Amino acid sequence: MEKRKIKSVNPLRVGLAGLRLKNPVIAASGTFGYGQEYAQYMDLNRLGGIAVKGLSLKPRSGNPPPRIMETTGGMLNAVGLQNIGVEAFINEKLPFLRQYDVAVIANIYGESVGEYSKVAAKLSAASGVHALEVNVSCPNVRKGGLSFGADPKAAAEVTRRVKGETDLPVIVKLTPNVTDIVQIAQAVEKAGADAVSLINTLTGLAVDIKTRTPRLKNITGGLSGPAIKPVALRMVWQVAKSVGIPVIGMGGILTVEDALEFLIVGACAVQIGTANFINPHAMIDIIDGLEAYLEDNKLKHIDDLVGTFKT
Amino acid sequence: MHKNIFIGEICANDEVQKDHFLMKMYLPRTFGAVLPGQFVMVRIAGLTDPFLSRPLSIYSFSLEQNACVLELLYRVVGKGTQILAGLIEGSQLEVLGPLGTGYAMPDTEKNIVFIAGGIGVAPLSLLAEHLCVNSPSCGPNMIFYLGAQSSRQILGLDKLQSLCYAVHVCTDDGSFGKQGLVTDLIRKDIKKYPPGDTIIYACGPKAMLKTLNTILGGKYRCDVSLEERMACGVGACMGCAVAVKEGSGGAAYARVCCDGPVFGLNQIIWD
Repeated sequence: MEKRKIKSVNPLRVGLAGLRLKNPVIAASGTFGYGQEYAQYMDLNRLGGIAVKGLSLKPRSGNPPPRIMETTGGMLNAVGLQNIGVEAFINEKLPFLRQYDVAVIANIYGESVGEYSKVAAKLSAASGVHALEVNVSCPNVRKGGLSFGADPKAAAEVTRRVKGETDLPVIVKLTPNVTDIVQIAQAVEKAGADAVSLINTLTGLAVDIKTRTPRLKNITGGLSGPAIKPVALRMVWQVAKSVGIPVIGMGGILTVEDALEFLIVGACAVQIGTANFINPHAMIDIIDGLEAYLEDNKLKHIDDLVGTFKT
Repeated sequence: MHKNIFIGEICANDEVQKDHFLMKMYLPRTFGAVLPGQFVMVRIAGLTDPFLSRPLSIYSFSLEQNACVLELLYRVVGKGTQILAGLIEGSQLEVLGPLGTGYAMPDTEKNIVFIAGGIGVAPLSLLAEHLCVNSPSCGPNMIFYLGAQSSRQILGLDKLQSLCYAVHVCTDDGSFGKQGLVTDLIRKDIKKYPPGDTIIYACGPKAMLKTLNTILGGKYRCDVSLEERMACGVGACMGCAVAVKEGSGGAAYARVCCDGPVFGLNQIIWD
């Protein structure tokens, strides 16, 4: 007789680049604060993971307002990576997150390769971080950000340096504001990235026709929300079939149907961002919806769905 | 127990002045109590255009046997509020809240001065009502300054008159009350209110608050509630930034939604 009972397998469980997630639904960086902000609206234990607000070596005050503008089916933001800095995150925010059984993904940002390495090293030494997500793609800050993610060599260099500083899985978050995202994805894969996540926001602009001035103080901002979903889906599909590492898909996911589209075209997991703003329960609804979908379609495991796109 | 997004059922939504609506809705009792100055985010479920919820300050709040009754006074300024204005009795809205901080309560100040510009009357009216109910001794000390563009934009005057010792009204075009800006009136009257004996509450356009800041010169205890574009309302998106002074003499961006919307006037950096 067997000593142990066979555990019922969680059909949503995902193993991704050494990261174990109880389901493939992750809160996207920049839309979920440090977790605390939404803790009163849901049981954070239910989430697959939380990608916290992007962390830099020193605190950043962010851009002057106005920082956001609603657009058709979405919004522009130019927050400018306002954050408390990596030290304060470790001391003040991580203890809170450690109480939960949820994968904590620290999103990191640097203005130089050296800064990326330092932030990565500090987080790797802290307890309670399960993976790093390297933001090479934020379009709002003129120095750094964009150039790293838009240039395959620079993106690879950052990846290599961060990998050199950490034993944690390294996810590289890609920008869609490039001519060929596949080329960047392949470059960071070659440099040792354990996974890629995409897409970050698309750079956009909105104009006040009365004053003929930009709606955002920063002039341009990152477009997110359902408006960008078809673009995101196309890029996730292209990247997923061109790299061997796992792909985390995001961009305009509001509902379980949206999440399923990303999984079908090859994403192993999804991140939910702007949807949190309009519905703090969006991720919980999506997790419940995925479970129901598997049951309805007689699929044993979410892996049986990933990448089953028929073209 | 986790907070819910509540479903509010609209029981009235009337145009009380041109382009200004008073929406009354029923919410479950679990919505809880409201502090004057707090706001809600409202949204029509499933709609993606407009995409974001709208932050609206709370104009009145009461408890009935099986429900909370919430009143929102709002001005139609764009697509979102235009759609809200079209909702009829029986329609439902998603409501997140109550959100943000409330006004600090008066201590022993002899003069409780309210300064409202336009739709800024909404949260101050709730505060005046709250003070009358909970600290009846405040009533005789409450003086309300109400400014509007014209007589067609004066809101909630009857209620204020029933609550406050005096209500001074002015309009930009002189069509009701005195002609001029509410800050002109304050500039003239401020000497009646010694700083140590006065608490001031204000809500209105940024230009009004900025002028008020100059008039008061940092000498008064003054709480203001701010309005800003918001996406989440709970402190996550960092969209609703306002520059404030920090303890060490530095500056930082605070979030209007959760660090506010009520701030000390002296905390805010205006330039």
